[in-house]
Amino acid sequence: MTQFVFDPTKVMDIDFTKRTEYLEGLEAIKAAHKVLKEITFTPSLPDKGYNNRSLYVNVGTLEVKEKPVTQQMKDVFIGGRGFGLWHLWNAVKPTTRWNDPENEIIISPGPVAGITQYAGTGKSLVVSLSPQTDIPIDSNVGGYFGPLLKFSGFDALEIQGKSECDVIVFIDGQKGIIRIEEAPQDPVDSHVLAEVLTHMYAENQADMVNISVVCTGAAAEHSLVGMLNFSWWDLRRGCIRLKQAGRGGIGTVFRNKKIRAIVCRGPQVKGDLNHVADFETIAKTGIKYHKEIRTNDPYQCMMRRNGTAHIVEIMDAYDLLPTHNFQYGSHPDTHKIDSAYWQSRCTQKTVDGCWYGCSMACAKGADGLVVKTGPYKGHTVTVDGPEYENAAGLGSNCGVFDPDYLLELNFYCDTYGICTITYGTLCAFVMECYQRGILNKERTGGLDMTWGNAEDDLEMMHQMARGEGFGVIAGQGVKKMKELFIKNGWGDPQLINDIGMENKGLEYSQYLSKESLAQQGGYALTNKGPQHDEAWLIFMDMVNKQLPTFEAKAEALYYFPLFRTWFGLNGFCKLPWNDVVPSNNAQQPEAHKIPEHVQNYVDIFSATTGIKIDKDELIHQSAKVYNFQRVFNIRMGKGLRKDDHAPFRSLGPVTSEEYLSRQERYDKQIAEEMKLDPTAMTLEEKMAAHRSWRQGRYEQLTDAVYKRRGWTPNGVPTLERLKELGLDVFPEVVDVVKLHL
Amino acid sequence: MIQVNGDGMEWQDGLTVRGVLVYRNFRFPLLIITVNGELIQPKAYDTTLVPDEAEVQVIHLMSGG
Amino acid sequence: MRQLRIDLSKCDAGRATCQHECESSCAEKVFKLTDPAMAALHVRELADGSGQAVLCDQCGDCVVVCPTEALKRNKLGVVVIDKKVCVGCYMCMGFCEKEIFERNPEWTEPYKCISCGICVKACPHAALEIVDVPEPAYRIL
Repeated sequence: MTQFVFDPTKVMDIDFTKRTEYLEGLEAIKAAHKVLKEITFTPSLPDKGYNNRSLYVNVGTLEVKEKPVTQQMKDVFIGGRGFGLWHLWNAVKPTTRWNDPENEIIISPGPVAGITQYAGTGKSLVVSLSPQTDIPIDSNVGGYFGPLLKFSGFDALEIQGKSECDVIVFIDGQKGIIRIEEAPQDPVDSHVLAEVLTHMYAENQADMVNISVVCTGAAAEHSLVGMLNFSWWDLRRGCIRLKQAGRGGIGTVFRNKKIRAIVCRGPQVKGDLNHVADFETIAKTGIKYHKEIRTNDPYQCMMRRNGTAHIVEIMDAYDLLPTHNFQYGSHPDTHKIDSAYWQSRCTQKTVDGCWYGCSMACAKGADGLVVKTGPYKGHTVTVDGPEYENAAGLGSNCGVFDPDYLLELNFYCDTYGICTITYGTLCAFVMECYQRGILNKERTGGLDMTWGNAEDDLEMMHQMARGEGFGVIAGQGVKKMKELFIKNGWGDPQLINDIGMENKGLEYSQYLSKESLAQQGGYALTNKGPQHDEAWLIFMDMVNKQLPTFEAKAEALYYFPLFRTWFGLNGFCKLPWNDVVPSNNAQQPEAHKIPEHVQNYVDIFSATTGIKIDKDELIHQSAKVYNFQRVFNIRMGKGLRKDDHAPFRSLGPVTSEEYLSRQERYDKQIAEEMKLDPTAMTLEEKMAAHRSWRQGRYEQLTDAVYKRRGWTPNGVPTLERLKELGLDVFPEVVDVVKLHL
Repeated sequence: MIQVNGDGMEWQDGLTVRGVLVYRNFRFPLLIITVNGELIQPKAYDTTLVPDEAEVQVIHLMSGG
Repeated sequence: MRQLRIDLSKCDAGRATCQHECESSCAEKVFKLTDPAMAALHVRELADGSGQAVLCDQCGDCVVVCPTEALKRNKLGVVVIDKKVCVGCYMCMGFCEKEIFERNPEWTEPYKCISCGICVKACPHAALEIVDVPEPAYRIL
């Protein structure tokens, strides 16, 4: 183990101010805009983090109105994801689906969002009914939109209805104007559209930083996996940058409503626009944290140099880097896409950070990529990232170890509006189906989807954007592909179900969970589907062996999902919590929770809102929203035990190749854990023994987790639990639960 | 023989904390290491000897996007 | 670039007769503040009787980390802060190894030494001087 040291001489010399520009047609695009509706409002700044009003826009009826944010909303739902779920609950019926006009997209930043003194405080939470899961999805995204919306005067933006023509919603928080504009000639893809709109709505060069654009791209119109980009203006590069609300297809909902973009022009940001209750505490906490980054980050994760890609080679070393559709956990070519490479490829001589005051600054950018395929062939572009999930999902999981192709896949995902995590997992599934003869060239319309064939991988993505060929099928996501392949009789249904890495309709994110039972639960015993933002327990469980019993695992699957839910209620990013730690962290009790940082969050919330909380109240705040979301899922016809089942690929070895590749480990488990004699068993018997042992343990874990969460064995929150959380004040919530008790 | 996170590992004369990390390929930077319950600082990984029969805990802090 | 320097062998640093004229002149004349503790430089007496100074050497690390380009070098190479574009994130304060930045409860924007030389004139011991030195290379932080 050697700690990798940053060497500035190895950074590639790429001019980060040079890229293809798209402003030529701006005047004509602007002239074609037609105002459909314009209203005025009185801009306001928050008081202790809240404006106490939200904005409702119906793009179908063109109704625009302000709504009060009530004390009850703040008490129960806090903000961010909580506000999103509450608005969505009130907007939809149990029969509503993603493409009904009453479905909403709610963007809410949370009370703390927009402070500039602490790292990771510019987040927006986006909530909608997902086209992939038919239940609420929530996505946590950077970029300037959320804070600028709040500093214009709104704690949340609710978008409902369906337009007949392409529209742009423009919120001008400087002048107090909200406009719905028909936008017939605007570019489609995000890296072009966000640039054009930023220049269109900014009144001068200095105003660029006050603009943020929410938009998607061509693929969102032809797939269910569309994502939303949130822009921010990068002063030094002189260009827009994009952060993604990726999971669950919210971009698809956005285009189904015919929204081309939502643009916010906020006031110039200053240090205390939230008018917090206790600025001094926030200032001191922020400066302390910045110092911690300065002194510790170069010797810990090097987030400022690598971003989250720092764990590519680490995951490989622990056999956790998903390779070839989660079959394996490492690959000999990982060094080609490891953090040493990204550190040299990403521009280091600039300031990254998707909101002011983020000293962790993980939003790395790779400049000067000359695109090799597709509609932007020959263009020079800046790629945001790659982040770990992109390097693993688009890279190792599909066998792509060519970093330039990986960047190009990342670029096109972003500009086409495709979630990179989802695409990585669905493409890996397609490739494994191709490897196993479930798919072939005839069925893919000529695409050769062998591992690592980045050109055909990219062509499938271009098809997704054009709405053509096999790309359209792939764009339905893993769940619907599984159904189709089985219906067509293309392969063994059990194999197809085993290797399709989805739960609730959402694709898995990029960690191998086979050897960590707690992480299997961390993925599938979740509200929105298998996304690592609820709990990442692999090291605690598999490497440290800190969770030896079902009860210990259940406790971790109680605490961490609630702790991490809280970030999304307030507009925080999760990364500054645990991707750097104080020098004395090891000496603290419960060091794995990083107690000093938890206290920072408690202090910042209290200092922003004036409501004094402690670390237990923090968990209690989350528990209200988390259980509300569970009940919401049940109301929509999911959210029960059957919906928490996991595909076997996430639990253990599906195929003989997988078994044989780690035979020593699996045989040892048969001898030590199952008390059987592997030498007396055939490979088939051993695989069957693993399946039954692993599935049995997963069921036992589910029992333990439900019990700890205060849920019935069917996964329904009990009336006692709802009372404890004060959710019994909502009769409709109680009614949903009563049907299942 | 020593125990590392509950797993057995052959002991040899001169084994350091760094030696344990290299042997187990523990490359993650955020570690909390104790040898027989005593906390070892990162700067002492190369010089701290691990005695035979020792119980070594290499606690990896959480990671993951 | 203009850089403020101190000769600690001349500086009295509160040890005998010093009235901390450098600090009070900086606070009053440069920043219009009455409290000398709010000055953009500090000289202190250490327990062993020697002196210690906290001075900005205009190294430019804060320019590197500032997200808004509020911190920039002026024509003289001095790092100055443009309060109009500063968003009060305090990254400069956290990343300054010499900890020379100041803030006070009245302003959200921090402030710093601008090598103006008012303290040089005020020092009765002639311990301070403004020198012209080359700008250091850009550091990736």
